[in-house]
Amino acid sequence: MKWQFSSDAPIYSQLIAQIKVGIVTGAFPPGERLPSVRDLATEAGVNPNTMQRALTELERDGLVYSQRTTGRFVTEDQAMIASAKRSLAERHIQAFLEAMTHLDYGREEILTLLRQEEIKGGEDNGSSGV
Amino acid sequence: MAVLECKDLSKHYGNAPALNHVNLAVEPGRIVGLLGPNGSGKTTLIKLANGLLTPSEGEVLVCGMRPGKESHKSVSYLPERTCIPTWMSVKQLMDFYGDFYQDFNRKAAEEMLSHLNIRLTQRIKQMSKGNREKVQLIMVMSRAAKLYLLDEPIGGVDPATRDYILSTIIGNYNPEAAVILSTHLIADVEKVLDEVIFINQGQVVLQSSVDEIREEKGMSVDALFREVFKC
Amino acid sequence: MLTKLLKHEFRATARIMGPLYLVLLAVALGFNLSARLMDSGNFVLNMLAALIILAYVAAIIGVFVVAFILMLQRFYKNLLGDEGYIMFTLPASVHQHVWSKLIVSAVWFIATGVVVILSAFVAAADVSFFTDLLDVFPKLFEQLNAYYAFNGTAFLLEFLALMLAACMSFSLQFYAALAVGHSFANHKMALSVVFFFVFQFVMQMASGILLISLDNGAIRHLLAAMNFHVTGVAAMHVAMLGLIILSVLYGAVFYIVTTITLKKRLNLE
Repeated sequence: MKWQFSSDAPIYSQLIAQIKVGIVTGAFPPGERLPSVRDLATEAGVNPNTMQRALTELERDGLVYSQRTTGRFVTEDQAMIASAKRSLAERHIQAFLEAMTHLDYGREEILTLLRQEEIKGGEDNGSSGV
Repeated sequence: MAVLECKDLSKHYGNAPALNHVNLAVEPGRIVGLLGPNGSGKTTLIKLANGLLTPSEGEVLVCGMRPGKESHKSVSYLPERTCIPTWMSVKQLMDFYGDFYQDFNRKAAEEMLSHLNIRLTQRIKQMSKGNREKVQLIMVMSRAAKLYLLDEPIGGVDPATRDYILSTIIGNYNPEAAVILSTHLIADVEKVLDEVIFINQGQVVLQSSVDEIREEKGMSVDALFREVFKC
Repeated sequence: MLTKLLKHEFRATARIMGPLYLVLLAVALGFNLSARLMDSGNFVLNMLAALIILAYVAAIIGVFVVAFILMLQRFYKNLLGDEGYIMFTLPASVHQHVWSKLIVSAVWFIATGVVVILSAFVAAADVSFFTDLLDVFPKLFEQLNAYYAFNGTAFLLEFLALMLAACMSFSLQFYAALAVGHSFANHKMALSVVFFFVFQFVMQMASGILLISLDNGAIRHLLAAMNFHVTGVAAMHVAMLGLIILSVLYGAVFYIVTTITLKKRLNLE
């Protein structure tokens, strides 16, 4: 997994988001055991306490669970993973809409633009296929 | 109990003040950045905690003790310069650390050294500057100390080595211990810190947790530092 | 902790002194061989023998000089140089550091003396002149004992104790000068040299004042009143003991200066 951090948000919340992405995209498959806090922290180059904090938060949400002796595991609950995926998507959309509103686009205009982009993307795919 | 405590600590060299009535406490289990521009008093503070200097006023306590023979048992210190005896071989250096420090974990040290392909028979004298620094860091981080005092561990090294050093620190420190590392290269260390102490002209300007700064000010510690220490 | 410091101090110094002693003994062996060839009448062999004699003398001077330089260098490099950052953060006290340096350099001074004597034996073995000379000493002691009731062994022991005390006090004067000189921010070495001579001067003044006060003071009257009746030999022993005590005191002053400076005014670069 590749870890990247922006400078404005707290590191633990960025860690939560990135581990969520990892779970949703299958980098951390369902039911799989997660590396130890220290290993994860070393890999991400962050403070182990911060990593601990992020994992505790994820545990509270139910995306990961810990077994006292064997460590931390990714949830096997597909519905929960799906809903996490959904909420990540919603957050991206929210951010996108905010940016577009800032550029003074109305809802209808945005949708039109999106459709045009979709057609263009389809053409690109088509041409590259030939 | 605080691992490091400064009570009204002052140090001046002749008439020039290096530290001016510093009060601070560092709790175990935290990695703390001691951040400040050059000449702000970082090294003086670390030297005082190591008993390499005596306070002009006030006191510094390490695990509740004044720096000395006893406190040195619980402190692992990385000086700002490389100063391991150069005539020794790596093996002799490990004998040295193993003899003097009961908490020295020779296996851990050997593992890290083999990672770097450093032979135990190699003499420090024959090593590159970079490898000497790494060997010294390995000795310091192979101890299960209660307080790690790292003076400029990433000053003057290339970015790849910087990453190596930081991951060695977070991969090896004793979790019940406190790590204090001084630097002026904040962007590089920010992610590994729990807490920061800003120090300027011998005075503590700010002590806060990294995530608090990011949450409350909406900016990185690096950005805050630039703002606080704007010339 | 002192034993650990001593162990590592020996490790650091033996790697220099050990090989040097071997060289000295090897040259002494060469000297021995050449002494046998000396009178062969061959010019080249005679030249070679003369060279080896020179080399032997140079080697003897060399080991003493190196033992002396090593005493200085271990103190200022290991404690006052960069390595000081490591040494002074070990779980050891300043006293233990000073003692470990002091004991190890004293041991090397003694060992150097012993090895030089040993090398003389090597050089002289089987050469009649030297063996004769060696026979003289026991006889000399015997005679002294017999005629003057002079205890040669006791005198020898006193002499050795005095040498040891003098060696250590001598080292401590250098340590004190180095410690004080290096407690300043700049010109550390130059100041160390200056302080060495300042100490020398102060001690000379002090001993001068001591002598004058002894001569004029109450002690003289006291001694006169007590009206000692001692034999010449007993007076020799008293004088030796007095000298030993004086040189221990001389060393003690510098020991105190050294340890206080290292504790309170340590100023590593």
